[in-house]
Amino acid sequence: MTTPTTPPTSAPATATVTVRDLTKRYGRKMVLDGVTLEFGRGVTGLLGPNGAGKTTLLRCLATTLAPDGGEVRALGLDPSDPGRRTDLRRRLGYLPQSPGFYPHFTVFELVEYVAILKELTDRRRRHQEVRRVLRETDLADLAGTKVRKLSGGMRQRLALSQALLGDPGLLILDEPTVGLDPEQRMRFRALVSRLGESRTVLLSTHQTEDVAALCERVIVMRDGAAVFQGTPGDLAATAAGRVWLSDHPPAGEGLFWRTADGRYRTLGPRPSSGVPADPGVEDGYLLLLGEGAGEPPGGLPGGLPGGPADGSAGTPAGASGGASGRASGGRENT
Amino acid sequence: MTWHLPADLVERYARGRLDPAQVMSVESHLAGCPRCRAAVPYEEGWLAASWERIEDLVDMPRPRAAARVLRRLGVPEHVATFLAATPALARGWLVAVTGVLAFAVAAAHLGAHGGPDKANALLPFLVAAPILPVAGIAMAYGRHVDPAYELQAATPMAGWRALLLRTLAVLCCAVGLTGAATPLLPAPPGLAVAWLLPSLALTAAALALSTRFAPPFSVAVLAAAWFGAVAAGPLLADDRLLAFSPGAQALYGAAALALVPLVYLRRGRLDPGDPR
Repeated sequence: MTTPTTPPTSAPATATVTVRDLTKRYGRKMVLDGVTLEFGRGVTGLLGPNGAGKTTLLRCLATTLAPDGGEVRALGLDPSDPGRRTDLRRRLGYLPQSPGFYPHFTVFELVEYVAILKELTDRRRRHQEVRRVLRETDLADLAGTKVRKLSGGMRQRLALSQALLGDPGLLILDEPTVGLDPEQRMRFRALVSRLGESRTVLLSTHQTEDVAALCERVIVMRDGAAVFQGTPGDLAATAAGRVWLSDHPPAGEGLFWRTADGRYRTLGPRPSSGVPADPGVEDGYLLLLGEGAGEPPGGLPGGLPGGPADGSAGTPAGASGGASGRASGGRENT
Repeated sequence: MTWHLPADLVERYARGRLDPAQVMSVESHLAGCPRCRAAVPYEEGWLAASWERIEDLVDMPRPRAAARVLRRLGVPEHVATFLAATPALARGWLVAVTGVLAFAVAAAHLGAHGGPDKANALLPFLVAAPILPVAGIAMAYGRHVDPAYELQAATPMAGWRALLLRTLAVLCCAVGLTGAATPLLPAPPGLAVAWLLPSLALTAAALALSTRFAPPFSVAVLAAAWFGAVAAGPLLADDRLLAFSPGAQALYGAAALALVPLVYLRRGRLDPGDPR
């Protein structure tokens, strides 16, 4: 059992999704270990390293996987009740982490197929809805293209378009920005932030810059438990007083990287000649994971070698005080 | 443009009261004159519907062969589109089923000509036919057989509705093909259709077991049980067709009738979101 290291710092004004003591086990491995969280309308980011249980949690919320224990309420509905589960699915949009497609289908056919599964039985209304979501995701011009001919980014937009069918009140997006180029990612952010104005969006991502740019709330998962809930500002604030800039690499243990301007950004104890820097979301996230992994503050996050949990060692986002660029990685000598 | 269409001509054009030569002349002018185009009245609903029909022609591919057949049989358009995506109804499965039946019919003819016992020559056909629909069920719906399963599992159609619809389609298809092959067998009709009740019983049993285990596992267990039951005939009563005897047929029929309500009662267990 993992004990959350950081208690929830603030609760959403009105929770549309609440999870209590959720557990899920695959064989001997406890993937969700008493997850308790809540979030409301707007965009909520779900951060965590690989294996933290993010996808399992999203699948439980999306009703594609039954938890072993605990309670879920989404949009006021209890998915453990078969009738309420179907009601919830009528108001749900889900983008899985690895969406599969029928490669011989066209883009239009695939989205129309999911529209049928979402009970859009009237042909004219269904076609209008399919065209609407294809326009939303800039796929209208590719409506007649076979899925097998689409690039990875186009497939990701196709997966997103099916999630938007039926104007769902709850959108669950598992790593939706994977495979998108920078321009597509910007357009995606604009779309999701617009969607979040009127509905609940839960967004799993490895990208702390997505969280900083998009999310009103952030949940951090580690080892099957939610170890932080709050605003991105709250998460950044957890790193206050532990982020430093220096002209030389620190001598001691700690996570640091070389930034684009040639200086060293260090998380943890103050290095010699270090000056305080403004903390960002990524700083708070890395420190949180480092603490959970038994490292001293500033140690390696999540037990991963050489850098941040998303594998982008030393490529911090603009969210973390503007540091960006070349990475020498934490613990350069390991 | 130095001249414009008179208002009465525009009105007659809009009402469809011009002869073809005048229509061509007016439309030639409209093509280059935005002002006159704007003056032509039109019905917004009609125009939107027309654009939708044009977009359908551009975007929509011809319905798949399976969907066209189903629609001719009276299946609603959206259900036909859904069923046409069933992996087990893909061309490869249909070819495989047809191939198995063809080999079984050929084996029956060869056996009937080569030996005195015509009934035993039917054995390959009678053993294989009941397995065909349950094999289709294993391939019809599930995480490991349907590439789009994860997309479907979060929709209202997920679970028993999707599985039962696809099972029905697969069963009808397999029974139809097997039924078409049955008259080709060198046997009296009574024995030649001895595959039908085992097919229905195994299909119902596959669904019933799927409420507890994944469909491919359930089907594998039932297939092993079926082959075991057929193999037990010669051992128990020195009768290779014991599994197709009238007594066994009554058992299959009773099992099918008993299992259908059981499947209905436990249909919620076919849902991916239901704890098993």
